[in-house]
Amino acid sequence: MSSIPGLGLVKGMALTLRRFFQPAVTIKYPELDPDIAVKYRGRLQLLHDEHGTLKCETCFQCAQACPIECIDMGGTDTRGRYAVHWGAAETYGERRTESALRRSGREVPDALFTTFEPVDLAAVDAILESHDHDPHRMLSILEAVQAEFGHLPVAALKRISHRTGAWYAMIYGTASYYRHLRFERTVEEVAVCRCMACLMAGGGRLAEAIGAGLRTEMGRPTPDGRIRFAWLSTHPPGGAAPLVALDGEAQPEVTATNATAWAQALAGEHPATRTVH
Amino acid sequence: MATPTRPSLDDPALTIPVDHAGVFDPIPVAQTERQREFYALKDGEMLLNMGPQHPSTHGVLRMVLKINGEQVTDLDPVLGYLHRGVEKLCENADYHQVISQVDPLEYIASLFNEWGAVLSFEKLLDLEVPRRAEYIRVLSAELNRVASHMLYLGFFALDLGGITPILWSFAERDEIMEMLAALTGQKLLFNYFRIGGVNGDLNHEFMSRLGDWMGRAGAQLEAGMGLLNENEIFVRRARGMGVIDRETALRMCVTGPNLRASGVPFDLRRAHPYSVYPELDFDVPTRSEGDSLARFLLRVDEVRQSLRIIDQCLHQMPDGPVSARVPRLLRPRPGRAFSSVEAPRGQCSTYVVSDGTDQPFRMRIHDPSFLHLQLMGLLMPGNLLPDTMAIMASLDPVMGGVDK
Amino acid sequence: MTAVTSYWNRLSLPSRVLLVLLPTLLVLGGAATVALVLLLPPLVDFLGANAGLVRFVVAATIIVAITIPTAFLIIYLELKVIARMNLRVGPDRVGPFGSAQSLAHGFKVLGKEDYTPRGVDVPIFTLAPVAVFLTTIMSFLVVPFAPGLVAQDFNIALLYFFAIGGLNIVGLMMAGWASFNKYSLLGALRAAAQAISYEIPLTLSVVGVIILAGTMSLNAIVEQQAGSLLDWNVWKQPLGLLIFFIAGIAEANRTPLDMTEADQELVAGFATEYSGMRYGFFFFAEYVNVFIISAMTVVLFFGGWNAPFDWPFPVVLALDPGSLGLGLLFVVGLAPVLGTVLLALPFWLGSSRISALQALVIGFVLFNLLAVGAFFGWAFISFDWVVGLFWMMAKSYVFVFVFVQMRATFPRVRVDQLMGFAWKWLLPASLLNIFATAIAVSILANR
Repeated sequence: MSSIPGLGLVKGMALTLRRFFQPAVTIKYPELDPDIAVKYRGRLQLLHDEHGTLKCETCFQCAQACPIECIDMGGTDTRGRYAVHWGAAETYGERRTESALRRSGREVPDALFTTFEPVDLAAVDAILESHDHDPHRMLSILEAVQAEFGHLPVAALKRISHRTGAWYAMIYGTASYYRHLRFERTVEEVAVCRCMACLMAGGGRLAEAIGAGLRTEMGRPTPDGRIRFAWLSTHPPGGAAPLVALDGEAQPEVTATNATAWAQALAGEHPATRTVH
Repeated sequence: MATPTRPSLDDPALTIPVDHAGVFDPIPVAQTERQREFYALKDGEMLLNMGPQHPSTHGVLRMVLKINGEQVTDLDPVLGYLHRGVEKLCENADYHQVISQVDPLEYIASLFNEWGAVLSFEKLLDLEVPRRAEYIRVLSAELNRVASHMLYLGFFALDLGGITPILWSFAERDEIMEMLAALTGQKLLFNYFRIGGVNGDLNHEFMSRLGDWMGRAGAQLEAGMGLLNENEIFVRRARGMGVIDRETALRMCVTGPNLRASGVPFDLRRAHPYSVYPELDFDVPTRSEGDSLARFLLRVDEVRQSLRIIDQCLHQMPDGPVSARVPRLLRPRPGRAFSSVEAPRGQCSTYVVSDGTDQPFRMRIHDPSFLHLQLMGLLMPGNLLPDTMAIMASLDPVMGGVDK
Repeated sequence: MTAVTSYWNRLSLPSRVLLVLLPTLLVLGGAATVALVLLLPPLVDFLGANAGLVRFVVAATIIVAITIPTAFLIIYLELKVIARMNLRVGPDRVGPFGSAQSLAHGFKVLGKEDYTPRGVDVPIFTLAPVAVFLTTIMSFLVVPFAPGLVAQDFNIALLYFFAIGGLNIVGLMMAGWASFNKYSLLGALRAAAQAISYEIPLTLSVVGVIILAGTMSLNAIVEQQAGSLLDWNVWKQPLGLLIFFIAGIAEANRTPLDMTEADQELVAGFATEYSGMRYGFFFFAEYVNVFIISAMTVVLFFGGWNAPFDWPFPVVLALDPGSLGLGLLFVVGLAPVLGTVLLALPFWLGSSRISALQALVIGFVLFNLLAVGAFFGWAFISFDWVVGLFWMMAKSYVFVFVFVQMRATFPRVRVDQLMGFAWKWLLPASLLNIFATAIAVSILANR
């Protein structure tokens, strides 16, 4: 504090006046860019080395080391065939639907996600050979695979991915786009109602007849696993007795006389000509 | 999976009481005796809520003030608006990952948070840090101290109404941030210290920026602070405001510049030295008045001392590695370690309990701002409303450290 | 009807506008012409009979019209000057060097949602900004800008000025009370206390000037300071100037005496609950107040519209454009073209990067600047009110700059220190000033 009251104020005013005439220290972005340090770690970009190649090798060390697990990355192997991925599961194409179903509270039909079952790859190879391993003809390849197996098994898709070089996620995308291609084995359910009215009308003999036609017993699936055979839990309103339901829909034309034949036809029909419900 | 139920708007516990005039004045349900006593208003008193969103509460701090006209008679601070569960997050992180978790506590002086954590880990591991690494640690930490004090000086003037010094001090701070970005790669949450040393040696860019800045740092500081030191209005506002006497300071666990401004010459760098501070020559400035002006002038003195330390570090910098070899997967022996560093705000202590696995069992961080906020209840009642903010500004709290 | 609609649908937008506009204009124009022809003579007679009233109405309109641009200009100056003192740049995006920033502020406050919070006292809430702005405009009425350029010159002008300044407080109190908000109430009470405390030194500090001038008419005070720099009142009343200026800072609610709008403590003081144009009114009023206090300082102490020195050489501008006859047409036609080309030539020849077209544009702009400058120079020399207005504005803006610089430099004075300063220091000082002046005048008169 100075001895003269008010002198400090005047000195302050003099200092501000002096600073008024000094140039501003502001860097006028975006016309001028500030000098960012070479070592700055905040850039959201992958860096290239002096030859122009990407420095990132997708080694996942950064994703593993991250304390808050915020890094999600994917890439391909050196020959560009395998897709590799690290990160939250819901970003994987093949698990996105399951995750979305779980998060929305809906039931996840297990049949949708059967684990990796081995299949006979010779058939897949034959199909690929006939299509000349050309990934551009993916749709017809997939249709042929479905015709062969009844659905698109994961093992077959991976084989296609290996052999054609197309990314698995792309194949999955193509397959999930078309409504006539399906990933799950079709499991149809034949159900016979067992309420008192239907039993009194001959439901038991109907069930035996259908079981004979399907070559299975009540409560067990057919030998090839494609068709389930069970009792119907409730009698749908308005259905005539005895009630037989195929995938939940009542089949009024099935009676005791033609039940066996109908079931045989159901069990023996070629899956490729079935339409999807 | 069941969908979560929404809270019903008819739930009586959630409705705000509305009186017959159609306007509401919600008094919260008092949960303790002290709160009950607080919310019982006498004649002429009024509750004023300086809410979490306020231009000058130094972060998200909510204070319910009981004022009588212009004078504050009591206050009820509500903390926790910035609580991020850092201590819990540290339990789920590797020892190496803890450093980046601990950074955002006192985010303005983040190197000191890192230093506390790293020191305690090195004690657990009985690790010796190379001398060059120690010198680089001191250098970067003292730069961070200068930057932190610059911020304090600017904000203190701003809370008193002067809008210019903050911009000048931020111009200085900008240069230091750029410098530290050249050294560490980041400008605020540096993540630079590692267990056993630092991450990366000094480089040309850092040295050239540092050299440029050191040449003018002293003169800029003197010129800038001249605006405030001699300003009658500023001095009359700050003198005699928020006086903490020696006994109160010691009783309330005040540390750092707030303690030294009350006449207690306690500095961890001299009292319980760590790193290479014993080899460096600097003074511990002390003032005895204990008011806001003393705290302000003391921090200006500390900046000068920090400049001395930085200069000595540059001259005495030894050669050698900048980090000890530490395995990627660290499993220290089961045990506990405690360390304290002299952060710009006070004493920042870290206590780690290890159970032999690769993640700490418990990390307890004791930062100075939380303790200093306890002083508010002693200092603010009896003062006028404009002084409340100024007192809080003079204590220099950072809500990141308060709420963790 | 369908023929009309199909015709309409086939028209383009400009044609549609024209089709609607032209007949409307014709009809309106015809009606206006008829009305003018019939009504103009009696109107002119009426206006001629009440010349004073007409003059007042015109002056008041001009004043209302210039308060907003003045406020805009001072807001822009404040932003830029404080920025420069802070080593920043200030606004520089909207318009060249950010000059249209104030306009953008104006559009912004106009476009904001105009709401009334729950629980407020609606008539008082609505009228408070009006009251504040109105008092500011009313105090403009007596400020003399140039010889002959004063809205209303009456012999108790100074008293009127202080009286209207006191009314300002009523507006602030209305705002704070009606807002139904504790912050606003505190702000309004502080504002009232501060304003009342500083009214008294403000008024008493100019008593010395009144004693010296012998009248309260501002026009007469300025005329008595005619002459040169040494005739101004500042040399005779330095203490009065100091007290008036400091009290004026408090009246204008500016830092360092701006407890009322300390946004570090009470979000916006009495104006917390206001938004949009109502808030705009308060802050236009504040900036216009800054200008008025500066103008009053200049009028009372710094010679008003008097120039600090006489131009040493008498300038006689004997221009008679009519004598050129037809040559005038040539001059008016050729001068712009010639001037543009001549001014463009150095740029085009001197730099290889400037093309001919760019050089011509530069030349045109420079010619315009020269022409405007020449016009103002001629006006300056020929009309004494232009000279007076120029000096008055220049001096006022020097003090506006001082106000802005004080805002940049000083922290805020605490409210009790503020009151203490007014009552314990300014009031005795102003009384001392009155006594000293009176004694000095009586001694000098008796000699």
